[in-house]
Amino acid sequence: MNAEERLKAAFALDEPPARDLGFSAAVMERVARRRLQRSLLLLVPPLLAACAVLWALGPLLLPLAEGLGQGLAPAAGIVVMVAALTTFSLRALAPRRAR
Amino acid sequence: MNPFASEAELVERAKGGSDQAFGRLVDRHQAAVRAFLRRVCRDREAADDLAQETFLTAWSRLDSLRADAGVRTWLCGIAWRKALTAERGRARSAARDRQWLDTRDGVEAAAGEDRATVARALAALPLDQRACVALCLAGDWSHAEAAEALGLPLGTVKSHVARGRAKLMDVLGVEP
Repeated sequence: MNAEERLKAAFALDEPPARDLGFSAAVMERVARRRLQRSLLLLVPPLLAACAVLWALGPLLLPLAEGLGQGLAPAAGIVVMVAALTTFSLRALAPRRAR
Repeated sequence: MNPFASEAELVERAKGGSDQAFGRLVDRHQAAVRAFLRRVCRDREAADDLAQETFLTAWSRLDSLRADAGVRTWLCGIAWRKALTAERGRARSAARDRQWLDTRDGVEAAAGEDRATVARALAALPLDQRACVALCLAGDWSHAEAAEALGLPLGTVKSHVARGRAKLMDVLGVEP
């Protein structure tokens, strides 16, 4: 074996496998995690803006919300019952999926 | 997806958000990136961690990949910059590393294996030179490709490869 071949053989021992599903899976898992982090970060500014708007409008909205709550209190039971009936009906009438 | 999809097609799909296409690119290039980093970083575990980070960075910077650029060259360029940063971070523990390598010297010389000898010689090369040797001698890259990936002038790459090769031949006991 000449010097070049010895050098090549020595280098070849450090070669990772041409296909390594474990490594690829680890990379893709980290990619998925990074994507989730980005998605969550993107939600932060609108959330902060919404909080700021609500805080600013709080004095105006509070009396309205109180008035609305008192007005709706008697109807709350009816609203809940109608929502439950609607949900049940929609489920019962929905076409069944083939198994 | 077509298993024989071209590189350009995979890149386009990955840029469009296809994880499957990006996964295929990882499959295709992981060996080259990991082999390069293993030779540059000395430590296999650290090299594989850096390789994962390289692909993660590549994923987040897919838009910066030029249409005419080779994916492998681009990836190894990212890997090289990560290796440089990691090397700088390790500067504080350099003395400890040297002690560790000294203890390895005795064991590996006794074993008398070319691999250990070459690894030790590689570790002793300056980082730039090591990267050039890893790409051109071990990875069979052209000097031009290595120059592009490492961001070094072509002449520098050529001289690094020649010097690195001479040192490796020297430790193998062969006249360069």
